[in-house]
Amino acid sequence: MISSTIDIAWRNLGRNRRRTALALTAIAVAQLALLVMDGLMHGYTDAMIDAMTGPMLGHAQVHAPEWREERAMDLVLEGVDATVAELAGMEGVERVSPRLYAPALAALGEDGHTVVVVGLDATVESGPGGMLAAVPARARPRGRQALVGRQLARKMGVSPGDEIAIVGQAADGSIANDLFVVSGVFSSPVDLVNRLGIVVPLATAQDTFAMPDQAHEITIRGNNAEGAEALAAAAARLPELRGAEVLPWQQLAPELITVIELSDASSAIVLLLVFVAAAAGVANTMLMATFERTQELGMLLALGTTPRRIVRMIVAEAIALGLAGVAVGTVLGTGAVLVFAGTGFDFGALGNEAVGDLSFGGLNYGLRIYPRIEAADIFTGVWAVVVTALLASLWPAIHAARLEPVKALRS
Amino acid sequence: MPRALHALLAGLLLTASGLSPSIAAAQSPPRPDLAQVLRRLDDLYRSGASIGRVELTVETPRLSRTLRMRIWTRGLDRSLIVIEAPARERGTSTLRVDRNLWNYMPRISRTIRIPPSMMLSSWMGSDFTNDDLVREASYAEDYNCSVAGRSTRPVGWLIRCEAREGLVGLWKRLEMVVDDSGTLPIEARYYDRRLRHARTMRFDQVREMDGRRIPTRMTLVPVDRQGHRTVMRYLDLDFDASVPESTFSLSRLERNR
Repeated sequence: MISSTIDIAWRNLGRNRRRTALALTAIAVAQLALLVMDGLMHGYTDAMIDAMTGPMLGHAQVHAPEWREERAMDLVLEGVDATVAELAGMEGVERVSPRLYAPALAALGEDGHTVVVVGLDATVESGPGGMLAAVPARARPRGRQALVGRQLARKMGVSPGDEIAIVGQAADGSIANDLFVVSGVFSSPVDLVNRLGIVVPLATAQDTFAMPDQAHEITIRGNNAEGAEALAAAAARLPELRGAEVLPWQQLAPELITVIELSDASSAIVLLLVFVAAAAGVANTMLMATFERTQELGMLLALGTTPRRIVRMIVAEAIALGLAGVAVGTVLGTGAVLVFAGTGFDFGALGNEAVGDLSFGGLNYGLRIYPRIEAADIFTGVWAVVVTALLASLWPAIHAARLEPVKALRS
Repeated sequence: MPRALHALLAGLLLTASGLSPSIAAAQSPPRPDLAQVLRRLDDLYRSGASIGRVELTVETPRLSRTLRMRIWTRGLDRSLIVIEAPARERGTSTLRVDRNLWNYMPRISRTIRIPPSMMLSSWMGSDFTNDDLVREASYAEDYNCSVAGRSTRPVGWLIRCEAREGLVGLWKRLEMVVDDSGTLPIEARYYDRRLRHARTMRFDQVREMDGRRIPTRMTLVPVDRQGHRTVMRYLDLDFDASVPESTFSLSRLERNR
């Protein structure tokens, strides 16, 4: 009986093909929009998390307590070499990178410019996701060499080979000053480094700023972004890190979590639109279908069909319509996402050509987004359409079930 | 003291010296004449040319360090500060000519001009800013001051000064406490543009230097930075020195001892 109900429901959909096609298109377009939107959102948040947990934050970071608020030169981590070795030996740790940050004045000639000297391990940071990942090996700073952020280099007018003077304050309060030869100019995904960064080898920076075996930050990169909390907790248990602050990226960049939540909220809005489109399409179609079949339904009732079966038939028709629509939408949406998953979708091409990057939360992102689809996105749409179709068809179905056979036949 | 410091003082301080002699003076000493007080404050450390030595102690919650330096000034807008000790920083100099500041670093033999963006940054790691060195505010000319009454803590006359319309600067209001005679500053409080109390400068250790009775120690305490303060102490000061204009040139800066 179930299969015959579905049979009949399916056949009924074919009676007014144009009307069915319109309802189906509305549902399909809604599902398509939902999938494309979700796909782009996933791509966008992936890009942000990658950029954040890569060059900027890593998956977890170690600082002296209060360093993040004060950024004072003398809030240092001690015994950095031993700590780094210990962390690097932990399970699930891919890369450990100590960093030193020193605000300073840099000058090529006489004019000083505000900069931040970043001392880091150039070899470690040249690995994937490191701050120098995009820097060619020959430009990596060695000894008294410095790599200069592109925007800063433009402002200062420096190019590779120039000698720049750096003056700042050392961790012991004294005046730090040194000369560095520019080894290269680079673009970093980290906005601050582009605008103000002078990257020098950690050992040199430690020497210049009177910080022997000390650093301000240790960045830890694990296997994946999800495991960061466990990684941070494990690192915090090391005796070397007693008294230090160890935080996973989620706590280091709460604004990023907010953005992810916002993107979830916007896909919820699109989902709501899917509901409305499906509800309108299904309700309209089913109302028209039942009213124009009043006589026929009266006949069925007169022949002894139970009202319950009438309800089932109409609901089945509605759900079949919804499912067909959502199936078409899923095929189109998945196809669209997959097409762009490989090449990426370039938002830059849509707008001003001069805009190559987008900056948020101190990071630059390419405008090319690689969308990604998740099974959950598809099922959310399917589930939403089925529920809506069910609800939207109940009224016409109950109306039909309550028909008086004689009156219905005469109408 | 060097001009930079002069300017600093002129801008910052305004008053207050702790050691007012008239503790037992009657309930209300005679109200000082405002114009006289302001002139006195403006001229306290001013001179045609001066040479002095200063000890600067910078205290932070975790460390404290002391610099000794020599300061040359001429008029209101020329000064040269050369660090004499500690050895590591010996020879490091700051030159001020008008509103420009240069730092000379002997270790790398480089002179760097401080960009406008760094004017509000710390000077040599102290609580003074580069801007303090180049500002030359005059109480009488840049502020509308009035004698606001008696101050109980510290004891003295409270003088309140509001920045005149159009004055470019950090401080919208200054409150100074001067001693009962209205001749020496005891304390100066600086209020920013939102009228928040930002820092306090205390003046004490009044001594006679080269014929002038002046507070020889100034303590600057930033309000929002717990545990930070900078103490500046004059070791000696010659108000009538002969300081040639050529002292304040870049070439001289780099040749400096």
